[in-house]
Amino acid sequence: MRAEDVKVCVIRIEGTNCEDEMANAFEMVGAQAEKVHLKQLIGQAPAGFRRSLEDYDVLAFPGGFSAGDYVRAGAIFAARIKAGMGGEVKRFVEEGKPVLGVCNGFQILVELGLLPAIDEVMSDSPTAALYTNDSGRFECRPTVLRNESRGKCAFNSLIPRGKLLAIPSAHAEGKLMSMDPDFVSKLEDNDQIAFRYVRPDGSGADYPWNPNGSPSDIAGICNPAGNVMGMMPHPERVMTRFTHSDWTRGYDSEVGDGRIIFESVMKYLEKK
Amino acid sequence: MVKRDVPFPLYDVDILSASDGQLEQISAEMSLALSLEEMKVIRDYFRSEGRNPTDVELQSLGQAWSEHCCYKSSKPILKEFVFGIDRGDVLSRGDAGVMVFDDDYGYALRIESHNHPSAIEPYGGAATGIGGILRDVVCMGAQPIGLADPLCFGPIDREGELPPGIKHPRYLVSGVVSGIRDYGNRVGIPTITGGFFFDEKYTGNCLVNVACLGIVKRKDLARNYAGGPGEVMILIGGRTGRDGIHGVNFASADLTATSDEDSRGAVQLGDPITKEPVMHACFEVNARHLITGMKDLGGGGLSCVVGEMALDAGCGADVDLEKVPLKEPGLAPWEIWVSESQERMMCTCKPENVQAVLEIFELWDVLATPIAKTTDLKRTRLFWNGEPIFDMDLEFLTGGPVYNRPYTAPEPSSKAAEKFPELPSDREVILSLLSDMNVASKEWAIRQYDHEVRAGTAVHPLVGEMNRAGPGDASVLMPVPGRMKGLAAAIGCNPWFTEADPYRGGMACIDETCRNIVAVGARPNAFTDCLNFGNPEKPERLGEFREAVRGLGEIARELGIPIPSGNVSLYNEAPGGHHILPTPMILGCGLIDDVRKAVTADFKRLGSVIFLVGATKDEMGASLLFRKYGGVQGAVPGVDIPGLKRKMDSLLRAMDERIVLSCHDCSDGGIAVAVAEMCISGGIGAEIDLGGIDLPDVRRKLYSESCSRWIAEVDGKDVIRFTEIMGSDAIPIGITKGDCLRIKDNGTSVPLEDMVKAWNSPMWKVMGGASE
Repeated sequence: MRAEDVKVCVIRIEGTNCEDEMANAFEMVGAQAEKVHLKQLIGQAPAGFRRSLEDYDVLAFPGGFSAGDYVRAGAIFAARIKAGMGGEVKRFVEEGKPVLGVCNGFQILVELGLLPAIDEVMSDSPTAALYTNDSGRFECRPTVLRNESRGKCAFNSLIPRGKLLAIPSAHAEGKLMSMDPDFVSKLEDNDQIAFRYVRPDGSGADYPWNPNGSPSDIAGICNPAGNVMGMMPHPERVMTRFTHSDWTRGYDSEVGDGRIIFESVMKYLEKK
Repeated sequence: MVKRDVPFPLYDVDILSASDGQLEQISAEMSLALSLEEMKVIRDYFRSEGRNPTDVELQSLGQAWSEHCCYKSSKPILKEFVFGIDRGDVLSRGDAGVMVFDDDYGYALRIESHNHPSAIEPYGGAATGIGGILRDVVCMGAQPIGLADPLCFGPIDREGELPPGIKHPRYLVSGVVSGIRDYGNRVGIPTITGGFFFDEKYTGNCLVNVACLGIVKRKDLARNYAGGPGEVMILIGGRTGRDGIHGVNFASADLTATSDEDSRGAVQLGDPITKEPVMHACFEVNARHLITGMKDLGGGGLSCVVGEMALDAGCGADVDLEKVPLKEPGLAPWEIWVSESQERMMCTCKPENVQAVLEIFELWDVLATPIAKTTDLKRTRLFWNGEPIFDMDLEFLTGGPVYNRPYTAPEPSSKAAEKFPELPSDREVILSLLSDMNVASKEWAIRQYDHEVRAGTAVHPLVGEMNRAGPGDASVLMPVPGRMKGLAAAIGCNPWFTEADPYRGGMACIDETCRNIVAVGARPNAFTDCLNFGNPEKPERLGEFREAVRGLGEIARELGIPIPSGNVSLYNEAPGGHHILPTPMILGCGLIDDVRKAVTADFKRLGSVIFLVGATKDEMGASLLFRKYGGVQGAVPGVDIPGLKRKMDSLLRAMDERIVLSCHDCSDGGIAVAVAEMCISGGIGAEIDLGGIDLPDVRRKLYSESCSRWIAEVDGKDVIRFTEIMGSDAIPIGITKGDCLRIKDNGTSVPLEDMVKAWNSPMWKVMGGASE
């Protein structure tokens, strides 16, 4: 598939607020991105506004505070999707089409049961949750991620294993927790850990380098098939060097560290 | 008051036969906040109409003629000094000012205050402040791209008893920051700059100023009024309720010990998750050119917006008030008419476009209701199911009184009466200035605000290595994806200067704003000002206002930089008549053609040459040093405007040639604090020698806060070129070196580690949470 033919559905409801930069990020790597309201996908819009999920090649859940996050981060958006188009989303994933969730998008994917989905495509109820940061505060700060994928994750396909990327975080609920005591080892066994927080020298992160206290420093995970990925930090915010927080101290390339994640999924689609 | 025989609450108020005493009583009982003189003018008007007014009409006048709405005390002074600074690139002076950004885009800017609501209910007051300023930008058709929140409070570590009815500053800070965070983060607009000002004089009346920047395609720039008669007015967004009734009157009087109980109903309730789709839908109907005008419902609610949108188009309006969607049944017509419920906008459109407009709002699940029509009669008429309840001449209604109130010019602080304080060692002084709450790190607040959402933040509010969190001067945005042109924004304000010498203080606020913008490599382009002062009915307070406005108007005019929007907030007085510091809060915007040339304040490397740009004078009045150690009087820094212009030009030229490694404005705490901050953010030390400054005393050299100064770091190989560009305006004062700040003049040495700790920890210690 050619890059210019790739159609990205950037899905939103009220309170989604990172859709502009998410759509821009995909367009910067050559795809066509459209911001689509959930109502347009479930037949609740005037004729000219209606869209169908199967017409898209990528589904992206941007960050924000969907529906205010008043119940639990991502819970309302996920419930509306399940009720209105749960089957279509599941089919989309089963076809191997890539799904990305960033920040609130990650929280939604977990609420939907598309992540971690250790033994299945989509669990009926969430099997993990993104809890309140250990600091108890919203944390907007630089974070450094290490690529942990051993090759399965579609969004990491071009990133050398162990490579460090500076990708900023901005959230109040990013601590990935599960009731399953073997959660982390299962994710590791399945090659489902996409990114870990580290210090800038690559050593283990503690606060603030791990901004939320996530166990095992997990920042992003994928599903067992590798086509669904969720992460708390925001790669779409660092598509160029000049939105990093420290670029005035010197840089080698004008390309931002987030771009390779979008290039990776385009590469994945190229082969399809 | 006589209840009219209709199936809803409506009263005819007998003012035609009322005595003076009765007029005053009516104003008080109906909470109109109108003076006797104003009530008499209203009585004369209704005599000419040949009837008594309804309660709806009187309430509407109470709104329209409040200080908040009609600027009756401040207008003559603003006219004299700040209006009419014009330049060809001012695109609009509407609800927000709009300036040329580039050939295709304009940028919007506006600041306003939400002081009194925040003093009563800090969380809700601050949140709705953000909501209101966003709407001002949205109704220009502009996408908000950045928020800025300068805040003033009493000392957060304040001990001892508080005056009755006053909340502890720590509680207020916590609530206000949470309100800004929860609203700003939820609507997804980055909070990119701001400021905290702490002083005992703000204890009884905190200041919450909120500013917003936006970007708009010039072809989509919206008007804030109708296109002409025969159009439909559509009310958009939130429902109308009893929250926020008499907010403008509350904002136009001093706070009292019982304001909390009396006026809580004047504080509106915010809802960012209604606002967010309202913004999307407004942009869509505007970009499709389906509407003719757009305006937000702020102070005075419907009563202000309907008249203004009609009158500015030379029209009147007929309103079917019963059509307004309500939060709860049973509101009286006057309550609906003046309610300031949040998240509401009004747009006007041609009748044939109504359906298309409603469809777009429906898609976003945003309530949109046609409630009025514009007419060719310059009157506002209200109907309730056909029953006429309001019929007034628009020019009379919105005209409002204007007062030339008496003022007395204050005696400025002088050098002649100066008393220099006893000081401990400079090491101790520097650490103590760095840990003064007005200087110390605001990371506690800054990181709770999402300052990067929308992916356009090029220069962040905290600078230096990742997570190091050094103090920046201005933030820079890249508003148009794919374009390298940048928009810089910075706050400038020194209320202590303004108190000690309002005229010089007013100038210094603009000077500081310019310094901050230039420090990142941008050229100052426009200002928006929020003038927070005390009770204008007191001659001393009005004198401060007048002198400060004269100062800032004079400097803006001479610099040729327009002020396309602004706001005045008077009556900032606490119970017992304690007035705030006179606080002209300036937000400045600057343009930089290529953000890749932006400069930050962190020292970049060892062995560079440190330059001081600008002359250091014996100007210690109201300096941080004097405030901290009990200095008395002294000259407040003045501004040599041609000198400021020249230095800005040459410094920007050097930055454009990329020979400035770092740059920081020199303000609170003088050279000592400025260099120390660059050490802190850069993580390296400096060795300075102030022998080149022409002053007899090292301490005046270190701590004077003379205006129009910067510290710049230049690589050794570029020193000749830098000196060539700067001429005698820059002198070398040292080099970056080691891990201490060393002052060779007197052998002082302050370890970097101690400075980092002194600067980082104070706010965390009081507000809680871990600093690094």
